[in-house]
Amino acid sequence: MSEADHRKSLEVADFNARNAAAAGAVKHYGEALLEAARRDDRIVCLTADLTLSTETDPFRDHLPGRFHQVGIAEANMIGIAGGLARSGEMPFVHSFCVFVTRRCYDQVAMQVAYPRANVKIVGVIPGLTTMLGVSHQAIDDIALMRALPNMTVIEPSGPAQVRAAVAAIAEYDGPVYLRLKRADGTEKPSEASADFRIGRMRVLQQGGDGLIVACGMMVEIALQAAERLRNEDGKAVSVVDMATIKPLDPALADLARRVPVVVTAENHSIVGGLGSAVAELFLERDVHVKFRRVGVRDTFAEGGTTPYLFEKYGLSAEALANAFQQAARGAAV
Amino acid sequence: MSNVNSRDRQPALRVRDPAQLASIARSLRRDVIDLVAPTGQGYVQQGLGAADLFAVLYFAELRLDPADSDWPDRDRFLLSTAHNTAIFYATLAARGIVDPVAVRDYCRDGSPFEINASERVGTAIEATLGSLGQGLSVGIGMALSARRRLSPSRVYVVLGDGELQEGQLWEAALFAGSAGISNLCLIVDDNRMQVEGHIDRVVSVAPIAGKFRAFGWAVEEVDGHDIPALLAALERARGCHKPTCLVAATMAGKGVPSLEGLLAHNLKLPPEIAAEALTALDETHGGEERK
Repeated sequence: MSEADHRKSLEVADFNARNAAAAGAVKHYGEALLEAARRDDRIVCLTADLTLSTETDPFRDHLPGRFHQVGIAEANMIGIAGGLARSGEMPFVHSFCVFVTRRCYDQVAMQVAYPRANVKIVGVIPGLTTMLGVSHQAIDDIALMRALPNMTVIEPSGPAQVRAAVAAIAEYDGPVYLRLKRADGTEKPSEASADFRIGRMRVLQQGGDGLIVACGMMVEIALQAAERLRNEDGKAVSVVDMATIKPLDPALADLARRVPVVVTAENHSIVGGLGSAVAELFLERDVHVKFRRVGVRDTFAEGGTTPYLFEKYGLSAEALANAFQQAARGAAV
Repeated sequence: MSNVNSRDRQPALRVRDPAQLASIARSLRRDVIDLVAPTGQGYVQQGLGAADLFAVLYFAELRLDPADSDWPDRDRFLLSTAHNTAIFYATLAARGIVDPVAVRDYCRDGSPFEINASERVGTAIEATLGSLGQGLSVGIGMALSARRRLSPSRVYVVLGDGELQEGQLWEAALFAGSAGISNLCLIVDDNRMQVEGHIDRVVSVAPIAGKFRAFGWAVEEVDGHDIPALLAALERARGCHKPTCLVAATMAGKGVPSLEGLLAHNLKLPPEIAAEALTALDETHGGEERK
């Protein structure tokens, strides 16, 4: 078999690539990474046998001398990235969210976070977005990364924000965890603007009856929930896209003081993620507000389609609107 | 990026005379005792055992400039067994890389010279290791960067045989062999000692050489106290197209008869043993003048 045929067979075997190709998805992340790398000679790309799934094939094809395939060995990948960064490179490392965080946590702590290495850790498949089940579902990655000193944690909400976030983290000198939902062709072009700055929240709509704070995929669902609350209850609700979970924008506290109810929404465990971060901010800033967290409620899940899992585990727009109403009524969780 | 002058630069010091290196190693052994004795903290047996390796690496092999620790084309040295610092700091001080006076605060609260070497010491510590199994991966990253930049920089990683029980080490070994990372040299300080005693009573890692050969490495098996053999093996490694694993058989406590071969990972050093050790190091090697 020729090398070209061999490569083709690998692509066909890649289930994620097949799904994406069928949907005609644009590689927003992969294109943005390549653009950043063309601007900045220091950027190198590492992947652990998931080139197509992590959209790093454009980088591989156009900048092969700066691309490293390390095989299925995430701990080693993080260590290599630490060494590269200490020699002046800016490594972007890639795998599924669960494998670039939980799988190699000590390596990330010691070789990336502690030395403030200029390493960008990029994961795909956030939360409950895979048929592959509990082994591949990252429900604690934000919590793990957020607990590390020096680490910045970002989860963009759509293609334009993904592109803007890549450009921003390439400009930023220090460790970043970027949590991505890989493009599958279903993204709405208008869902996110390119207005992204690390550590700054974005207020998508304003209303005096309450506030929903969301990140990643839950931003779109938060907008749907706000729509539902307006139509069904006549409530005007603010929606904030908190793409940077760490450092958390403290301006959120001032926004929260103006409303009676705040609900957080994340495709992640309610333990240690966005909801926890917001609660910590509120308590230490004396923000007294009715407060609920929507997320995976301290449980493991199972494989399934994303709509099914989001429904089952309370991540739907309906569940979010219900949580808001319960909070407003002061009902117990 | 460095310029051509930087790449051609050689360290001023490059001792090749085995007798002189042996003398340096003896002096380093005395420094190990001196560093550990005041607090009783620090790894004595490992330090005495690795003294010849450190003397050869820092005084003969590594391209370093103590006056310019950020020289981009310097060789990189990583001590993956980062707790073996009595010998490491003694060597850095003797080589003029760290302040020999500051080193005397070894293991005292507030001192950057902790038991586990960290970058608090400064740029002499190329990475904070000590969570065992990580050093070789970091070294590979540095070696890849040097390769990309066409730098002559080589990377040397020292770890202990017990550390080979860590899985990440084998991920790294597999990658380095597969990718042919020839500017990388791993030195296994094969002292057969780990926390719970002899390695074979815990989990045997033998045969080390055979494992690395199977992983695509060039392997050198040497007596870790045979300085001419160490020099020759490192010389061959530099000309090799594969990564080299130098398996250096060392004896814990080497140089102090009452400590030699004693597999005591956490040996505490009471004052009387320290005094006895210093006397032994003076007497058994001709009683050179102590500094």
